[in-house]
Amino acid sequence: MGASAKRKKEKQKDFQKPKLKVGKAKAKPENFTDTSFKAKSIVLNQQSLKLSAPSASTQFTHHLSLLSSKSDSQRRDSLAHLTTTITSRPVNSPLPQPVSLLLPHLLPLTLDANSGVRTNLLKLLRALPESDVADHVGQLLPYIRAGMTHLAPDIRVSSVEVLGWLVEVAGSEVVSCAGGWVKTLNCFLSVLGWHTEASSKWTTSETKPAASFGKAGAKGKPQVKVLSVLAAFLDAGIGSEAVGDDDGDSDMDSGFPVRQFRAQMIPQTAAPYAYLNLFGKPRDEEGEMYETREDRWRVFEGRFLAAVEKGVEGARAEGGEVGRASAGVRKVLVEARG
Amino acid sequence: MVKRKLGALEKVEADLPNLQHKLRRDPKSYIEDFRAQHYQYESHREIFMAAPSSATDTGIISLRELIDFIAHVADCYPDITKNFGQELIDMLTQHHLLLEPELREKIVGSLVLLRKKELMDSATLLQTLFPILISTPSKTLRALIFQKILMDLRSSNAKSTNHKLNRTMQTVLFNLVTSDRTSSKGLWAIKLTRELWKRQIWTDAKAVEVMKEAALAENEKVIVGGVRFFLGGDKEREEMEEESSDEEAIDLGKVKHQVGINKKTKKKARAVEKAKATVQRRERKKNQPHPLNFSALHLLHDPQGFSESLFSKHLQSSKSKLNLEQKLMVLQLVTRLVGLHKLHIMHLYSYFQKYLTPRQPSVTSFLASLAQASHDLVPPDDLEPLVLKIANEFVSEAAASEVATAGLNAIREICARQPLAINETLLQDLVMYRKSKDKGVVMAARGLLSLYRDLNPEMLKRRDRGKDASIGLQHGEKQVKRFGAQEAGGIEGLELLEKWKKEERKRKRAEKGLASDEEDDEEEEEEDNWDAWNVEDDEDSDDSGGWIDVQSDAEIDLSDSEDEDGKRPSKKAKQDEDKAADSKPENKLPSIATTRILTPADLAKLQELRQEAAVNALVPGGKRRGQTAEARHNDDALTAAEIEGLAALSAGKATREERIAHAREGKTDRSEHKSVTAKRKEKKEEQGKSTTNKEKARKKNFLMTLGKAKSKGKRSLVETRAVLRAHQDRQKRGGRRGNK
Repeated sequence: MGASAKRKKEKQKDFQKPKLKVGKAKAKPENFTDTSFKAKSIVLNQQSLKLSAPSASTQFTHHLSLLSSKSDSQRRDSLAHLTTTITSRPVNSPLPQPVSLLLPHLLPLTLDANSGVRTNLLKLLRALPESDVADHVGQLLPYIRAGMTHLAPDIRVSSVEVLGWLVEVAGSEVVSCAGGWVKTLNCFLSVLGWHTEASSKWTTSETKPAASFGKAGAKGKPQVKVLSVLAAFLDAGIGSEAVGDDDGDSDMDSGFPVRQFRAQMIPQTAAPYAYLNLFGKPRDEEGEMYETREDRWRVFEGRFLAAVEKGVEGARAEGGEVGRASAGVRKVLVEARG
Repeated sequence: MVKRKLGALEKVEADLPNLQHKLRRDPKSYIEDFRAQHYQYESHREIFMAAPSSATDTGIISLRELIDFIAHVADCYPDITKNFGQELIDMLTQHHLLLEPELREKIVGSLVLLRKKELMDSATLLQTLFPILISTPSKTLRALIFQKILMDLRSSNAKSTNHKLNRTMQTVLFNLVTSDRTSSKGLWAIKLTRELWKRQIWTDAKAVEVMKEAALAENEKVIVGGVRFFLGGDKEREEMEEESSDEEAIDLGKVKHQVGINKKTKKKARAVEKAKATVQRRERKKNQPHPLNFSALHLLHDPQGFSESLFSKHLQSSKSKLNLEQKLMVLQLVTRLVGLHKLHIMHLYSYFQKYLTPRQPSVTSFLASLAQASHDLVPPDDLEPLVLKIANEFVSEAAASEVATAGLNAIREICARQPLAINETLLQDLVMYRKSKDKGVVMAARGLLSLYRDLNPEMLKRRDRGKDASIGLQHGEKQVKRFGAQEAGGIEGLELLEKWKKEERKRKRAEKGLASDEEDDEEEEEEDNWDAWNVEDDEDSDDSGGWIDVQSDAEIDLSDSEDEDGKRPSKKAKQDEDKAADSKPENKLPSIATTRILTPADLAKLQELRQEAAVNALVPGGKRRGQTAEARHNDDALTAAEIEGLAALSAGKATREERIAHAREGKTDRSEHKSVTAKRKEKKEEQGKSTTNKEKARKKNFLMTLGKAKSKGKRSLVETRAVLRAHQDRQKRGGRRGNK
């Protein structure tokens, strides 16, 4: 083929030289692609060109800002970096940044999709000084609760771990802060799949997994973890008060003529008048602060006891590790009653 | 192998839409899952409320998604979500300035969704959204909220008018307009009211009251919005109604037929159902009585006070900040009110005095306004100087022809409303302009002439009066209306009915062979009339229902006279008692209404006759003159274009494009001249039908036919014979498949 005049002409056209003219811009070739673009912002890969290495504190803040980075590995590495910085600092020296500034960056990561990020987060949290954390329990708990009811089972488990750490560090604050008792218990029941009377009417089987929807996490181990944290949580909330009582007694003895003067003094916690709720919105039953053991027990007995007991029974019947873990919860319950 | 990229949601299976789907199907079994998500939502909300400004996307599931999720399934768990709506409202009202746009829109959308699911009442929704609409600086949010508010008002008024809601909303709007007259926030009230007025959801005086207050505001935008509503709102409403009524017609038969042929799918079945429902709805709508909606100008309380304050506030006062265009609009409204309600504003006419010069920008609008403002209760002393000024300034041989045309037209319009506004000499002078060289001026002058032939021929020179007017004068039919004289109200078209009855009677008598006028038949007539109380039984009116007789052109041409008397006899006749004796008995007040009670059959016939007359008046070839003034309803505004009149005729040479466009006007499209085959083909293509074998053969690619053509040439005689035989056979059988 290719004999026709038309084809010949077409072929010739391809090899014609473009005519250049003086004073005119060179004609663009036919297959020219316009590669110019417009952008609102241009991100440079190398952002800082300094001769001196950044100081430790600037690096710390930099990595703190990188916690909201898009890439998973970046977040994870930054967390690891922060952890090493915190742990390797000289003893008794303050943190490079106060906890109140760290937490807003850290907290959203409890709900992070990547498990590596979450484990690193837990490590970092463990590295924080215990005394500083106690004041920020109220800030931490909503995130933990959001994690515990998350659709993704991995996130549920890791936030239970975070809660375990928090109870360990500041147990009394956790159970007595606003919404810390009832709401958190609700979340526990939801994680374990132990339903209160009102709701369990509709569920079909007793032995339903923790949540019927979504991918159930590995059945045995997470539940053990949740149960042990629950035991710790209950212990902090309604467990024996032996230690606290001892303190009170010693107070009474020490200042003999003036008795129980501690009760008259301003408490040494961060927000001593939080229970007055002067600035917040009015709280409902769930969001209320339950500051004494009696309050907590009353609420627990009224709303959760039956479900928890039933759940513990079930776990015991299951035997194995789960059964052993449930024994801890049982023990707390028995002590609390007696 | 390339790794497939996993989305965040795939990794963790946090699939809210999936859960939502399951919840909807079986809410009872999934209640615990929902409860967990609700806890999650509450924790997120807590986080958000603690720091609304810094809250960003937390992890893979954001608050926005949770809100969306809960709003969608809220109706399944009303007891768990009973506070949900209130929480959303709090979030929106407290933090709408800080919220990120997507979340904000989602909250608004969710609130509307809750309203749709009846978990929230309209009043709460509107009370939440409206303050935000007014206060938010975000344009997109405003647009969204406005649309939602409108939608909600429409849907809550869809089945029956929700008077309570409308009242509260109107009160809110009224307060918005009146509370701060200098702010432009009243614009929202205007927009909302106008839209609802257009859709005939609000048709009451309270809505008009809102607009009235808007027109009296101090912010220019608000003023203009209010004034525009009065000038154009009703027209807009009518157009909207027409638009909705002439939606494309659905051919139900065709739809059904198509379903019979095509593949049967659920979608198609649904389409048929929908078409049926639409047709039914339309039928029902057709049978419904037409809603009687008053125009906004008629619904005004105290038009006198309104127009006076408009005039003094925006036009007379020196503090008014309106520009000329806006002032003209206000003036138009004021004069329209004056003309419509026959009001008196003391300084209105002297106000016009300074604007009536040819050099004044948009003077035709001023002229139109002046004409609107004149009615038969305006003292002629007020109008006469203005008419004189127009005549002096505009109408002279030295003035440009457009100017003269505009002046003459304005004078005609004023005099049509108040004939006493001009004196005899001036009128006779002006009428002389019909001998002018310019066509526009000629037409305008003729208009004036014919007007006075009709109204008061005595003021014209004897030779200008015309035949009919002169005859009328001789017979004393023409009565000059005195100042303040009111015409007695009658039933429109009653004389037509009377005429028809007379003819009928004559016809019947002719059938019976009786003499034309005998009294003894009266009783029989009465009986007929009593029968006619029942319209449905009356066959005569039944078979004529729906059909209107249109007379042919020739018949109309017979009445070539220039006066209008044939159309409306006798209305003026009774004004003057002295001449009553001279006038003919038929031209007296129609006796039929005074002597007997009109039966429903009579009324039906009357309606029919009225329609017939209206149609006849529109048939080309009839008299056109005077009809413009006649046909125009009292409510319609007079525009500047009408004052300019036929200035186009005197505008000199039109450009080539204009001439071409003018020539094309009224001509059919060239493409319509086509052969029958081409038209058929087009029609077939339009209907999506396939081509015939013949057409296919004709279109076949030439190269594909070559092989057969070649082999055809090489056939032997025997082969050719066989082929021909086979062909013949096939023809007999009727094609390959046979025609059995």
